[in-house]
Amino acid sequence: MKHKSIIVSTVMILFFLGLSAFAWIKPQDDFSQSERRKLSRMPQLSLQSVIKGKYMKDFEDYTLDQFPMRDQFRALKAQVSFNVLRRLDNNDIYISDGYAVKMEYPLNESSVKRAGERFSYVYDKYLKDSGTNVYLSVIPDKNYFTAGKDRLSLDYDRLVSVFKSETEFGQYIDIFDCLGIEDYYRTDTHWRQEKILPVAERLAQAMGTELDLDFEEKTLDRDFYGVYYGQSALPLDSEKISYLTNTLLENAKVFDYQNNREIPVYDMKKAEGKDPYEMFLSGPLSLVTMENPKINNGRELIIFRDSFTSSLAPLLLSGYERITLVDIRYIHPDMVSKYVDFTGSDVLFLYSTSVLNNSETIK
Amino acid sequence: MLFSSIVFLYYFLPVTLLLYFVAPKKFRNSVLLISSLVFYGWGEPKYLLLMTASIIIGYISGLMIEAFHTRRAKKLVMVASVTISLGFLAWFKYTNFFIDNFNRVFGLSIPFLKIALPIGISFYTFQILSYTVDVYRGEVPAQRNLINLAAYISLFPQLIAGPIVRYSQVEHELREREYSFDNFAAGMRRFVLGLGKKILIANLLGELCDAFKASGDKSVLFYWLYAAAFALHIYFDFSGYSDMAIGLGRILGFHFPENFNYPFISRSATEFWRRWHISLGSWFRDYVYIPLGGNRVKKSRWLLNILTVWLLTGFWHGAAWNFVTWGLFFAVLLIIEKLFLLKYLEKSRIFSRIYVILALLISFVIFNAANMGEALSYIGAMFGAGDIPLVSKELSYYFKDYAVVLVIALIGATPLVKNLVLKIRLNRAAEIVTDCLEPLVLVGLMLVMTAFLVDGSFNPFLYFRF
Repeated sequence: MKHKSIIVSTVMILFFLGLSAFAWIKPQDDFSQSERRKLSRMPQLSLQSVIKGKYMKDFEDYTLDQFPMRDQFRALKAQVSFNVLRRLDNNDIYISDGYAVKMEYPLNESSVKRAGERFSYVYDKYLKDSGTNVYLSVIPDKNYFTAGKDRLSLDYDRLVSVFKSETEFGQYIDIFDCLGIEDYYRTDTHWRQEKILPVAERLAQAMGTELDLDFEEKTLDRDFYGVYYGQSALPLDSEKISYLTNTLLENAKVFDYQNNREIPVYDMKKAEGKDPYEMFLSGPLSLVTMENPKINNGRELIIFRDSFTSSLAPLLLSGYERITLVDIRYIHPDMVSKYVDFTGSDVLFLYSTSVLNNSETIK
Repeated sequence: MLFSSIVFLYYFLPVTLLLYFVAPKKFRNSVLLISSLVFYGWGEPKYLLLMTASIIIGYISGLMIEAFHTRRAKKLVMVASVTISLGFLAWFKYTNFFIDNFNRVFGLSIPFLKIALPIGISFYTFQILSYTVDVYRGEVPAQRNLINLAAYISLFPQLIAGPIVRYSQVEHELREREYSFDNFAAGMRRFVLGLGKKILIANLLGELCDAFKASGDKSVLFYWLYAAAFALHIYFDFSGYSDMAIGLGRILGFHFPENFNYPFISRSATEFWRRWHISLGSWFRDYVYIPLGGNRVKKSRWLLNILTVWLLTGFWHGAAWNFVTWGLFFAVLLIIEKLFLLKYLEKSRIFSRIYVILALLISFVIFNAANMGEALSYIGAMFGAGDIPLVSKELSYYFKDYAVVLVIALIGATPLVKNLVLKIRLNRAAEIVTDCLEPLVLVGLMLVMTAFLVDGSFNPFLYFRF
């Protein structure tokens, strides 16, 4: 008995002291690539922060964020959840035929209504009397294609119905049937640009313009691990990002009003950065214009959008003299008139189901 | 600070154990006291003063009770000390409850006090009460060393969620404890087991309960699934904490009383309360029920004693009517059992188990309800009231999602695995194999639990709020 107790005690002492020492001496990391977020660092000790309890809260955040082999531990948890406890999802993400899919659920009707109200606000403020043609469309998330009967998913018909009833001022363009699960990245929330030409065509057709969809497909050398790779903490295979280009896009002028600078259509610095999907129009920016140097048809398209449009907008440029992208999650609609003249334009509200169902970020 | 947190497991605990075992024996209670104050102050720095005041009042009261020679004087000090301790508890835990009900009855709008419930106050107050009363009864001598008494009351393993350790149970060990590898290994084994109950079962079932509450797709069977999940959740949460407390105590050289003994295998509510939160049940028995006369009084008074004890038991758990109802629900069951049902329950193994499980599920639905309205609506829905379907898509999903966790929890709530291991170990070869595997299993479990902590968010123990 004693012999056994000595072994158990020694092993457990070594385990706790070893991992504890590792946690104390491990250098602090700034950023978690897999989760794409800054990590908490050791807080400053002060009497005030201790009395208020802030130091303790910050220290606990620090211990969680800076724990040794954090990604490996998160992967272990995911493996145990899926393979031992037979859970159907990990952090609301599940794998279906190699696609990591976030289980967007349940339908938050009030959120969809709120989004509709915010778009109505834009319509009433700028579009009602400005001779614009207003269109709306919804991009389905991956769960729409993979949920089937066994998983929880939004009632997409209901979502679209609520959205349409809140935005009767515009023409709704259905693009659900233009998409399939293979049109999305396996490890990311977004769609693949090289797969969404039918979407661009459908939108252009509904808005009464013609597109030149003759592109050359190029592929980045770098492996791409999307946002769900980190969130799921599962050993998913990497994939590649492809993008479509032609002489029109190579000569297009793109201006970022948020930072007052010209940017490329495809930002190769971003392609090497933390989130390579940000290579499309340099990622999340509040207001961007794309100018087509080859067309003088006077047609202008203004898209109120989320991140999906970053990869779609270049495909639409051949039909317009100018495309303006407005992300009212980052700029208040009241500020937009400083930069955008809506008169006679086509206006498209293009949002993913995920943003509509979590619309609190829309200003 | 939570036991099931990285900061406890890999920062607080290793440093505390290192200091504790490096310190000379005569300073170990001081190390325990300081570390316990850090442990408590980590989450509630402002309530350290309240706990310190309670300790000092208990300490002085003990000395005065012993110093006085007349029964009357001793009683006076004891009553004063108990009143002050209960006064603290009442002020922080029950004031707003009484204001709320006063307002409702008399149509007033007296504002609520902006006071939060200090963590663990229900537990350490009961420990101080038992110390003072035991000294008054002459069952234990007063503790003359303030550090020893403070270390007992604030002892971090059991400070905030029990078991309620009576002074008499550890009086000797406060002076002299045995340190051995056997104690250390047994304590570590118990601690890891308790942590596993908390992280790998209770937390996951807690998520299932949260999913149910947030669901807009409820069905009759989903209500039943929720009731079962919550009953198992609270059992694994609380018994897991008790296991960790007992294990940590053992590592430090203490022997704390058991708090749970597979309560879900009970065949009556009476038996259930001999197996569930044993330290609280025995506390009420010894300090309320027996002083009221217990069952050695006329029948009507005996029944009143039962009702009183269970009313207080319910009220101890929380300042809300659903807790009071929960206590009285058990009082009614116990009275019915004592009057006539018990003899029938003893005759039928199947009926008695169905009866107990049904009663427990209903009781825990009451326990976890936000208010009595919700409790009644949930119980009604379990029996088909309201226009809800029998099954729903969410039920189907969550049942499949948590099926393995539920099966593990159901098996773990019985002594099946324990008995199996004991049986296997009767074979010498199997005993050697299990001995060799044990350290690996413990380390493996710790790695998995650490992984869940690193990936997960906080999930506080339910009994912290009591």
